[in-house]
Amino acid sequence: MSTPPRHSQPDPANPFAGDQTRIQMQETLMRWLLRIGTLFVVSVTVAIVLHIVIKGAPVAFRSEWPFVNVKFLTELPATLHVIQDNQGKIIETDVNGADAVKKQLGANLRQEKTISYSGGGILGPIVGTAMLVLVSVGVALFLGVASAIYLSEYAKHGKFIEMVRLAILNLAGVPSVVFGLFGLGAFVLTAPVFTNIPLDRSVFTIPLGFTTLSFQGWDTCVLSGGFTLAFVILPVIITASEQCLQAVPQGFRETSMALGATRWQTIWRAVLPFATPGILTSSILGIARAAGETAPIMFTAALAFKDKLPWQKDQLPLPVDASWFAHWEHSVTRFLGIFTESVQALPYHIYTLAARIPQNEYSERAQYGSVFVFLVLVASLATTSIWMRRRLRAKYKW
Amino acid sequence: MSPASSHPEQQPPVVEVRDMDFCYGTHIVLHDISLSAERNRVTALIGPSGCGKSTLLRCVNRMNDRVASARVSKGQVLVKGKNIHDSDVDLTQLRRQVGMVFQKSNPFPKSIYDNVAYGLRIHGVKAKDILDDAVERALRSSALWDELKDRLTQNALGLSGGQQQRLCIARAIATHPDVLLMDEPCSALDPIATLKIEELMHQLAREYTVIIVTHNMQQAVRVSDYTAFLHLGKLIEFGDTEALFSNPKQKLTEAYLRGTFS
Repeated sequence: MSTPPRHSQPDPANPFAGDQTRIQMQETLMRWLLRIGTLFVVSVTVAIVLHIVIKGAPVAFRSEWPFVNVKFLTELPATLHVIQDNQGKIIETDVNGADAVKKQLGANLRQEKTISYSGGGILGPIVGTAMLVLVSVGVALFLGVASAIYLSEYAKHGKFIEMVRLAILNLAGVPSVVFGLFGLGAFVLTAPVFTNIPLDRSVFTIPLGFTTLSFQGWDTCVLSGGFTLAFVILPVIITASEQCLQAVPQGFRETSMALGATRWQTIWRAVLPFATPGILTSSILGIARAAGETAPIMFTAALAFKDKLPWQKDQLPLPVDASWFAHWEHSVTRFLGIFTESVQALPYHIYTLAARIPQNEYSERAQYGSVFVFLVLVASLATTSIWMRRRLRAKYKW
Repeated sequence: MSPASSHPEQQPPVVEVRDMDFCYGTHIVLHDISLSAERNRVTALIGPSGCGKSTLLRCVNRMNDRVASARVSKGQVLVKGKNIHDSDVDLTQLRRQVGMVFQKSNPFPKSIYDNVAYGLRIHGVKAKDILDDAVERALRSSALWDELKDRLTQNALGLSGGQQQRLCIARAIATHPDVLLMDEPCSALDPIATLKIEELMHQLAREYTVIIVTHNMQQAVRVSDYTAFLHLGKLIEFGDTEALFSNPKQKLTEAYLRGTFS
């Protein structure tokens, strides 16, 4: 019998002396490689944010009170008129101001430039994006959490469920422009509406007696865009919610069931409360994604330019002697009408400014201003949600 | 193999397992088990790991239903004289009357009060005074009331391991079941906490019929009136605890008790 050899060259002074230059070099090399990779990612991120802040912040902020460019945040986009006189003085104004300025200058006018969409502010796109996010996150959370609960708690494991999961994962990889076309076909052109007079293009109609259910679509509006965006973010929400549900200890379910709870009682009282923080996190990702997508809304909800906010629609005033029911109906119709309006949206507005109009310093200014505001909005939304999640998690942790 | 012969009692057993086979898919894990648990007695199930004692315990409140392929393929399980696999048995009612405490103490991350009231609330009890009463009674029965009465609103996860397990017992008895199933309730606890739970078990037996799974033979001796020894899915021996430990009838039982088990 032979014993395995001991360390070949024992150094009596230091039995742990290292003699492994190659291994040490590899260690150092790998550490630096990984470090450089990480630094690269961080520096690119910082560069992007800095670029936007440096170019965009001067548009959104002012050096004197109230420090914020109120006009930029509270006005609708408009055509910018830039008028230069013979002394080289430049005056920026809107279409109404331009006439007055020109009349005042008279022969002193050297040139006038008009730049589309770059004047005024970006209130329209902000409102539009907020509404699209609201609708899409509402729809996607409801559908997503429902299917996540079904997949995680009710469905029996098997081939079919595996296929459903695979389909959901694949949905996440579908290019967003495909969702846009899907939304155009499904929601803009064929979704059902109640109407007394169906359009000729209606796919088919179901007469209900008092009214008609017509599959003629919702037109280009917040609802169509919101539903389309909901399907874009559904895979993220389903997958993440399912993981959150699975992370709740099985013991909670067993205990609850052993106490005689039905499956739904168990889900409602012993699973969902503890999965909510995680589900909220996934909806944060969803919000950021829904707010940022351009392709799904360009056919379904967004306009390059609109001079009215969704609630500024002309409506016939009610007669003076209208009943309370008529008033109520009027208010409800008015409220619902907000969601059947097409809107401007931040990502599409930025796209329009950057790619659809001739580029100059004025369009670039509007463009970076919009991008900066967009970034701040998404970041504050995410911060709020993370804060909410923290509070919930502190309450429900195990 | 009924202990009723040695302890003649008028009442029928609360839990009775008759000639039961239990399988996962095609794999039979319990063979021809016949066993009964008498009212207000503690029945212990002992045996080496994987012998099926937990599975047998979970047959009594049909917790195995959660596993899709699991089923009782032969025989019957009767609780209070009713075959629990009959189609007119409502699972929620069965489990309300057959409570269970698990190996790992798993209080919900809610307040102590909400934990104990959980079972009543899911059965639709809303009245504050009824809930208050039930919570106090359950906590007294599990010897927690004096320790916890001033901090009922605190999160149950702040309790010590032994307190958490006793809270789980309180939660299980708050709905006032007839039978209390305990699946190795002390296996994760230190000796002092274990002692407390064992003391508690004697008191619980006054009100409930207790069936306990344990891997600790000394514990079976200390707490149980009857003991069943299982090996490889078969019931080897079942009888009076004292008799079984002092004078086992089967060679296998003797070997297991002596620790000379191959």
